[in-house]
Amino acid sequence: MDNMMESKEIREQGWLERYLLGELSEEEVRAVEDALRKDPQLKMDMDQLEADLEKMAFENAIDPPSHVKSQLMDQVSKVNVTTIPLNENRNNRAYLAIAASLALLFGISSFWLFSKVNSMEEDLQLVQEENAQLQDNVLELQSDLAETTQWYEAVNDPGAIKLILAGNTNSPNALAISYVNHDKKSVVLDAKGLPRLAEDKDYQMWADVDGVMIDMGVIPKDTEMIAMTYIERMESLNITIEPAGGNDHPTVENLISNVYLN
Amino acid sequence: MSEEKSLISKLQEGNTRALSKLYDDYAGALYGVIIRICKNEAQAQDVLQETFVKIWENANKYDPGKGKFYTWAYRIARNTSLNALRNPSPLIQSDDLSVYGNKAELEEEKINLHELKGSLKQLNAHHQKALELVYFQGLTHREAHKEMDVPLGTFKSYVQQALKKLRDAYQLSLLLVCVLMEWII
Repeated sequence: MDNMMESKEIREQGWLERYLLGELSEEEVRAVEDALRKDPQLKMDMDQLEADLEKMAFENAIDPPSHVKSQLMDQVSKVNVTTIPLNENRNNRAYLAIAASLALLFGISSFWLFSKVNSMEEDLQLVQEENAQLQDNVLELQSDLAETTQWYEAVNDPGAIKLILAGNTNSPNALAISYVNHDKKSVVLDAKGLPRLAEDKDYQMWADVDGVMIDMGVIPKDTEMIAMTYIERMESLNITIEPAGGNDHPTVENLISNVYLN
Repeated sequence: MSEEKSLISKLQEGNTRALSKLYDDYAGALYGVIIRICKNEAQAQDVLQETFVKIWENANKYDPGKGKFYTWAYRIARNTSLNALRNPSPLIQSDDLSVYGNKAELEEEKINLHELKGSLKQLNAHHQKALELVYFQGLTHREAHKEMDVPLGTFKSYVQQALKKLRDAYQLSLLLVCVLMEWII
């Protein structure tokens, strides 16, 4: 049959009747349905025909015995119970369970990752702090080493002259060691042997040049090795106790130790 | 109409109460067709049940855009009936054989019971016969025109004329009802 069936041909050749009765092949059904879609008037004619046939059928209806319905309802409710609703429920429940499990799994893994990231951030911060601390330590050790090396070199230099400053009656327990190096024009003092002084007092060092005492510097309280001022043509080294911060002129009564340079 | 639409969408969702309601609405009309094709009450009852089982199982294949529910159900009933005639259930056949003595008598009575009614009765005999053959006997146009011993083209026009007359009869009865209503008011 021609796919482009004309509405006129459909009406005249009784295609609508045969369509409604279910006599047509699948291909013919498609052709009629195509024509019905394209032609609203044809569709209206068919609707009318359909209504007429239905009315005719209802006029000729015969009541079936009631047991047919009860058998039918038994049959479908059995089928219904054993397959459709249970399957649906089971499927729905299964899908729901799968969805819930996935959501739970996702939630747990998200939480796990979140806490993992958090703890890693904390760890990282800790490591960074430790790292900074270690770096400080290294710097400190390096500066300590540099200082120690410096003192070691000063003390062990072949040109260094070691002079012991022992305490006199003013401070009998005092003992300081000085290293004088004329080549390098340096004086290093090891002051750890000096007794502790009160807060308002300081030890001060002096050089005697032609009978004049010249200031070599105040000896800091908390330092063991100190570089003092090198004075040209000095004849002796002297340590006095002075008011805190040092004095312009030595208080000779408070001299605790002195030593002559050769 | 919208009530039937929701009934059908419930049927398509697998609602047995919707099937029960549709059975109440349509079983009589479909049984009227089935019993006239089968001409055997036991077989017709089986076919009616099978028809509704098919309606139930294939509900999703029904497309309301392509026609009325009844038309769809009619085609299922018609095909199920014709299949049953071609391949009769052995159970029903043995039943028939056991009561064979009374069969002819019973059938005669039943066919009378199945006499056509309504506006169809007002049509000319050949128009009535043509519609009966294609609609209530389940014959195709090609089978029916041989049955009536007229050319296919003639048979086609019989059917069309019959439907036209039926249409006029329904419109007349509608008109009468309107006039009657007006008169009462």
